Amino acid sequence: MKRLVFRLAAIATIGAALSVTTESFLTLTNLLNVLRQASLTFLIASGLTFTVLTAGLDLSVGANVGLSACLAGTVMQSTGSVALGAATGLVFGAGIGILNGLMVTLLRLPPFIATYGMLWTLNGVTYWFMGGDTIHGFPAGFRALGSGYWLGVPVPIYLMAALLFAGVVFTRYTTHGHEVFAIGANREAARLSGVPIRARLNLVYVLSGAMAGLAAIVYLARLNSAEADIGEPLTLPAIAAVLIGGTSLFGGVGSLLGTLIGALTLTLVVNGMNLLAIDASWQPLVTGVIVILAVWIDVMTRRRAEATI
Amino acid sequence: MTRLPAFGGVKLVARDLRFAARCSWLVLLTCTVTPAILHADGERIAVFTKNQTNPYFQMLRLGADNAAKQLNARVTHYVPTRPDSIPDQMSQIEDVITKRPDAAVFVPVDFKAVAPGLLKMNAAKIPVVNVTDRVEKGEIVTFVGLDDYNVGLATARYLFTKMNGAGGVVILEGVRGVQTSSERLRGFKKALEEFPKIKLLASQPANYQRLAALTVTENLIQSHPNINGVLAANDSMALGALEAFDGANRKVLAVGINGTKEAMDAIKAGRLLASGDNNGFVQGCIGTMAAIRRLRNLPVPKEVVFPATVIDSTNYKAYDLLDSQRSCPKWESVVK
Amino acid sequence: MRSIPGIGYLLIALVLVFTAFGSGFATVTNGFNIGVQSSVLLLLALPMTLVIMSEGLDLSMGAVLSLAGVVLATLLMNGRSLPAASVAAIAVGALFGFANGLLVVGLGIPPFVATLGTLGIAQGLALVITGGQSVVGVGDALPALYESRPLGLPFSIVIALAAFLVFRFTFRHTPFGAYVSAIGGNRESLVLAGVKANRYHVGIYVLAGVMAGVAALLLTGRMSSGHPTAAIGMEFDAIAAVIVGGTSFERGKGSLGGTVIGVLTIGVLKNGLNVLEVPSSLQVASIGVLTIVALVIESILEPAARRLWRSA
Repeated sequence: MKRLVFRLAAIATIGAALSVTTESFLTLTNLLNVLRQASLTFLIASGLTFTVLTAGLDLSVGANVGLSACLAGTVMQSTGSVALGAATGLVFGAGIGILNGLMVTLLRLPPFIATYGMLWTLNGVTYWFMGGDTIHGFPAGFRALGSGYWLGVPVPIYLMAALLFAGVVFTRYTTHGHEVFAIGANREAARLSGVPIRARLNLVYVLSGAMAGLAAIVYLARLNSAEADIGEPLTLPAIAAVLIGGTSLFGGVGSLLGTLIGALTLTLVVNGMNLLAIDASWQPLVTGVIVILAVWIDVMTRRRAEATI
Repeated sequence: MTRLPAFGGVKLVARDLRFAARCSWLVLLTCTVTPAILHADGERIAVFTKNQTNPYFQMLRLGADNAAKQLNARVTHYVPTRPDSIPDQMSQIEDVITKRPDAAVFVPVDFKAVAPGLLKMNAAKIPVVNVTDRVEKGEIVTFVGLDDYNVGLATARYLFTKMNGAGGVVILEGVRGVQTSSERLRGFKKALEEFPKIKLLASQPANYQRLAALTVTENLIQSHPNINGVLAANDSMALGALEAFDGANRKVLAVGINGTKEAMDAIKAGRLLASGDNNGFVQGCIGTMAAIRRLRNLPVPKEVVFPATVIDSTNYKAYDLLDSQRSCPKWESVVK
Repeated sequence: MRSIPGIGYLLIALVLVFTAFGSGFATVTNGFNIGVQSSVLLLLALPMTLVIMSEGLDLSMGAVLSLAGVVLATLLMNGRSLPAASVAAIAVGALFGFANGLLVVGLGIPPFVATLGTLGIAQGLALVITGGQSVVGVGDALPALYESRPLGLPFSIVIALAAFLVFRFTFRHTPFGAYVSAIGGNRESLVLAGVKANRYHVGIYVLAGVMAGVAALLLTGRMSSGHPTAAIGMEFDAIAAVIVGGTSFERGKGSLGGTVIGVLTIGVLKNGLNVLEVPSSLQVASIGVLTIVALVIESILEPAARRLWRSA
């Protein structure tokens, strides 16, 4: 909990600095924009969080979003049915998740490289399927999901809130959720306690894929289009969000709230740099420093905690 | 003398074998030469493009295929497996040289860094037609493409005229360091000099990508409430910017470059003001035709630079074609 | 039967297939091409083997390579001599390697995170220095060196071979090599033995940075220029080559020879697909599928085959 407090304090500090240096930051519109901009990263990062909690990783999420969006968009346009298209995207995303899970549980492949191989495979399929085309033009009702407002608040924010709520319930109040943490913390102990390792691992990879599918739908709604390369810039920010949020790569430690804070931190930085007219070339550097700082704080607090024992 | 297998009861003798060998050699010769005479073609052209995802290069490849089919040549496409990767393209050039194609149509991933690759093709005596991004050094048969500076200039002038010469404008640059991007930006800035009452509020790169343009524009709208015009270096970014303005419930005059199908639809619908023409399909056609013409000893000019045209609601119909309807123009109609 | 890693059979199979179906594949020129195209990756994958054996990762290698290349090209463009500029480039690599080592060993930040951070810093610096542009005008010395053929072999292949031999010697015959796997799996034993484990641990990352600098020499020579994003993603290729070659994160076992085979497999695959004129989208998918297949061979088939062999 202390770690979350640190992170919230960090965001507050960034926010305060921005409010002072530029007057366009602290407006309702801008803050809502930032939340909406963070939603895509958060959707992807939330599924990713679960895999990292088990000391795994899913590098294929970006490519998954890309292919799912292209498939969903194609189905929507050729059948005229938004529901069918959305279902396609979700099912396909989850399906890739199942494949990833099987590679990890059945074939016992190391998640890092297995999902990296899946990334390349998905990209190849996307390039072949899309061939440089752009799908564009979706019904206005559907587009409200990404770019619309409800009661003055952008729709994706409700989605984020719902996801956060579901995720917190899952991790704190369900056995499945506890077991996911246990697997990450100490796999052998979990196995000995009777946790069905394979089933839970499959679950987290399916969740990762399903969230990618959901993100694909929101992407379509927001951008009103899909192309083969949309997924490429999405993976690294998602991973950074998970890490900044305090989820440990060694598993067993982390939270969705932390991931949300991580996503917000990244989005705030970009927002601030745009508002301050700082050249975009500085963004990788600033992001890199923030990632290091955020995790360093965790390490420090953990060491201090260990030192007092 | 070695024993030879009996052939249907007839014994073969060395003399018969020599005769048979000479006959089959003649037959073989005829079989290879005759098709070569009847279709004096079958030239093998290697086409290099930057990536598999940008629709512009997809159209270029389609144009190359179309031209090759018309002229009875064969095209093989080489695209880096990692998009826009310089080492990948260099490796592909080396691999292609071992296959000895007859000619190459070349879009460099980076117009400076892939120079050694071009020089290698020169050394291997493979004629190279340079398309889209003008290479800095190396021998080329011809350059086919836009003058990105002029297209940027024309598109910006169009926007500023429609803004009645006054107002605030933001520029969405492409990818820093890419030649098309920097040349178009140069054109934009020149137009700014010509319209002193137009104020440049911000200029940010958005990597030719829609989501990046959307995010940047959303943020810029917050810091500059008085944006009247958006000057984007390509259509994807222009459309991304329009989404941002739609979300903020504001109107803006926006122009892009490339003249993609989506841009045509947006112009038709009155959302996008105009787009600078950059016809990848035609460039692919003409580039491939130029390569084939060089192989057939037909004249090829030193460069084929397409005029800077701005597509807007008055003339878009000529450019609004379905892929299936597209067919290469005649060489003579393009190259005067 | 000496232990050829399972991936070795995959490499042989690929070579056979490409030779059979690809005209021009099995030639000396093409073989040199594969070697030249793989040499930069090998220079990255060799130290990556040690990093992974120490239960770490270095995600910053591609970005550091690009930055070092930019520094090298800029110095050459400004008239500095090749030796001086090369030292500067390697120094840049060593600096980032040292930073990685400090973050991981000194501050206890997980290697994935630390090197992800330095990736951003190196990439950002390269972009800001160059504005995204290539740095050209590097003169003739470096390209001439790159194109030279010592011992009749292309320069980059000679460097890659030399690097492999140096690494192998270090790994097998120096204490440093012995400590590497211990640092990963069994650090306490080192500390108890009075070894300054921390120094060696940092040294592994410094070595990785230095090799990124050396690789920058090759890549800049190849392009006759420096480019800020030229080596993006190469560290992932290196990691894939290392893991597919038999080194693993957890078990602390590693094989430099396996890494070489892993790098060659990737090089042969990419080259063969070009020679076969396979469509690009299929090439991309093949790389993914092959990575997974290689993993399966490494993780499942090989131990199974070995058990079978032993019980027979």
